[in-house]
Amino acid sequence: MNNSIKLLFAAFAVLAAASCAKTDNYAAPNSTFQGNFIDSVTGQNLLTETGGAQLMLKQLSWSSTPDPYYIPAKPDGSFEDTRIFSGNYSVIPTQGAFWPTDSIVKQISGNTTVNFTVTPYLEITNFNHTQDADSLVMTCQLSAPRTDGLPEILEIWPFVNSTEYVGSGAYISNFTISDQSNGSYNLAPINTTWNATIAATTYKCVVHGLIAGRTYYARLGVRVNDSYKKYNFSPVIEVDVPTK
Amino acid sequence: MKQLKYIIAIAAAYFLASCHKLNVPPLNIISEDQVFSSANGVQAYLANIYTFLPMEDFVYEPNGGFMTGNGGRWQCFYQMDAIDGEMAGPYGGTGDAAQGFGFWPYDRIRVINILLADLPKYANLYSQAQLNEWLGEAYFCRAYTYFALVKRYGGVPIVNTVADPNATPASLQVPRDKEEDVYNFIGSDFDSAYALMWAPGVAGNPGIQLGAANKYAAMAYKSRAMLFAATIAKYGAANYVDGPARAAGFVGIPAADANKFFQASYDAAKLVEGNFSLYTGGYPDKVQNYVDLFLKPNNEWIFIRQYTLSDPNVNNDNAGPHSWDATMTCRIMTGDGLSRTYPDLDYVERYGSLPIVNADGTPTRFNNLSDITIGLEPRLQGTIYFTGNTLRGVTFDQQRGIYKTFTGSAAQELSDNLNSPNDVYAQYPDTNSSANLIFASDPNSTYRNHRVIGRAGFNPSTGDDNTRTGFYLRKYVNYNAAASACGLYQSTQSYVDMRYAEVLLNRAEAAYELGMTGDALADINQIRDRAGAVEATASMTLDTIRNERDKELGFEHQYWWDIRRWRIADQVLDNRKLYGLMPYYIATENKYIFIKQIETFQRTYTFQKLWYYEPLPGGELGKNPNLYPNNPGY
Repeated sequence: MNNSIKLLFAAFAVLAAASCAKTDNYAAPNSTFQGNFIDSVTGQNLLTETGGAQLMLKQLSWSSTPDPYYIPAKPDGSFEDTRIFSGNYSVIPTQGAFWPTDSIVKQISGNTTVNFTVTPYLEITNFNHTQDADSLVMTCQLSAPRTDGLPEILEIWPFVNSTEYVGSGAYISNFTISDQSNGSYNLAPINTTWNATIAATTYKCVVHGLIAGRTYYARLGVRVNDSYKKYNFSPVIEVDVPTK
Repeated sequence: MKQLKYIIAIAAAYFLASCHKLNVPPLNIISEDQVFSSANGVQAYLANIYTFLPMEDFVYEPNGGFMTGNGGRWQCFYQMDAIDGEMAGPYGGTGDAAQGFGFWPYDRIRVINILLADLPKYANLYSQAQLNEWLGEAYFCRAYTYFALVKRYGGVPIVNTVADPNATPASLQVPRDKEEDVYNFIGSDFDSAYALMWAPGVAGNPGIQLGAANKYAAMAYKSRAMLFAATIAKYGAANYVDGPARAAGFVGIPAADANKFFQASYDAAKLVEGNFSLYTGGYPDKVQNYVDLFLKPNNEWIFIRQYTLSDPNVNNDNAGPHSWDATMTCRIMTGDGLSRTYPDLDYVERYGSLPIVNADGTPTRFNNLSDITIGLEPRLQGTIYFTGNTLRGVTFDQQRGIYKTFTGSAAQELSDNLNSPNDVYAQYPDTNSSANLIFASDPNSTYRNHRVIGRAGFNPSTGDDNTRTGFYLRKYVNYNAAASACGLYQSTQSYVDMRYAEVLLNRAEAAYELGMTGDALADINQIRDRAGAVEATASMTLDTIRNERDKELGFEHQYWWDIRRWRIADQVLDNRKLYGLMPYYIATENKYIFIKQIETFQRTYTFQKLWYYEPLPGGELGKNPNLYPNNPGY
């Protein structure tokens, strides 16, 4: 009796082990795809934030109707995916604050690097700031690389955070709310299509309530009423609030 | 030798037996003719269709689906109004649930199509009127199901026949239809339902059966669906995300067709007139009347879902009880469960600002917490539990904290102390603190014999089990049930999916959009009279009508779809913070003040334009390449 049970267990173990024998012989996603979103005006990396723009990839090797695959932008305007299947892809920058572009077809294998040049909807220019005790004043002007068909410009936002990762997805909203009792934000509203007045205006955003002795990071962001309402940003500034 | 004989005989018996034909009816499967050849069979078949009707009822979760047979279905706080800005709820933001749950009910559509195709074969067994009534119910349910699809995805494949599973895969891969064609199909199915079904309760016809469709329900839902189509045509033409699906008409409706759909909505709503009415059975107390409207069967209910006390974990369907009472109010009033979603001040302010600040900017002093409700519209009081209200003998005593003294204006206090970037909710100085403003993490903490946060109050140690906004929801809460009967899966009040008030609001909106302002005004004032509100005047605008809809149908899972079809969701929910009405006690004055503040979790709600349509489910796209292109932005 004992022996037959032992035998059964042994047989079971062999069978259980045997059932794992199949191996996945398809190559792991071991290619790297990286590069930068380049601002066509400045020639530098696009000023954006984590996820402030996306690359949409469609792998053409398998199907005529592939599922899209997205790689988000990093805060410095670069992108990198180190675990992607080798193959032939259609790639297009999308869901960012720039004019729609055409897709390219790219063979990705090993370490593939591509830079995508995009034209931002708006550039924040003459970006300046002054700081006085618990207040931070940021000023800027706007310029539009292309004005024909530019969607309505909504407003300029001040973003303040306690780390250098600052943008619409990471900011301390209390600094951006100007009046708690009615919920209004201290934005610089524009709400109109591009015109000469906008080009000539210096916009100002004021942030109050900074705490003494802390270091903050701040920037301005402007957006237009396109499909994605993402932001064109100023560079990030570091603000050290002196101790009292 | 003898043995051999037996063996031959037995073998022969086997061979002879094996000659029987195999196509005998199986005993373990009920065949179609057994179902459709008896009235009980047809009714059971229809009951199954109703059970799975995609109704956004008490247990529906916007990212979990209709929760059929799902063990998580007690969590009624995971509801749509917790992502659309009506309630501060458990979702981290709108994006948690904006892309749906992969709804694709073609199995249920097939069940309906089988009845429509095959029941007429048994026509000789039934009266013509009975047969038509059943067919009408099936048309109603099919239109209802397609409407649940089209409002999520835009155009979907229209399947109105019973597909043969042995057909070639290519013929089963039905392509998408245009969004407008799907709405036309829905309108035509509701028309068929209306034409086929009898007028309930007249000329010897049976009366309305609660939980089943009826002739006028078809028109009520048609008015809802056509209004969706009309507003998508009108407002979607200006605010949209572009893409191949839009260019092909799979999403979006030509603006020129808006008025056609507004007219269809208006006409359908008008047909309901006289057959249902606004509930006034609780008069003269208009607060109690509004509360009871949702709890006592009445002539305002057009289509409902009923619940029974059967065990939800045994019954793999939607008929088991729900947990609304256990999950909408505070645990001190219920038998079990917890609440996690709370109406916000933004909803309350649809009725106008509350008198919480004096002309000089100082907070208004109240003698009692309950004084905040003095003079409020009865409908608002019937919708929300304010501080000072009682439920099952227990008072809503929520307080945000205690001020030892309070001087100056509310605005100054907010900017000095309450809007500190350090989350004040996370720090709760105890009662022995020297601070002027006292919070607490224990409901029994007192300061000078006065509870600091109250038993229903803002308690950081229990997360969001107590209110985050100062309010609790009153709509649908069964105040008659004892607390011990308010545990999980113990609530059986019906869900009213369509009531006459909505028909009037559909009609008012359609009429106004068509320029018939007189008709719209009369509709709105019927609603306002019952609500106990001031009557509207001829100077009312489209915003008046929309706001009236938002007030009347608040927390009925409509607002999400309304801001989508009006194409204002991306403006309404744009880095949006939700607000609460925080009650404080001032110790030196023995008075209460209320301060408008961001709800305690300070969450942000943003709606992205691409969410005006949900993405087609990936699994379905994989099976059927004819569903491409996917909706814009996905």
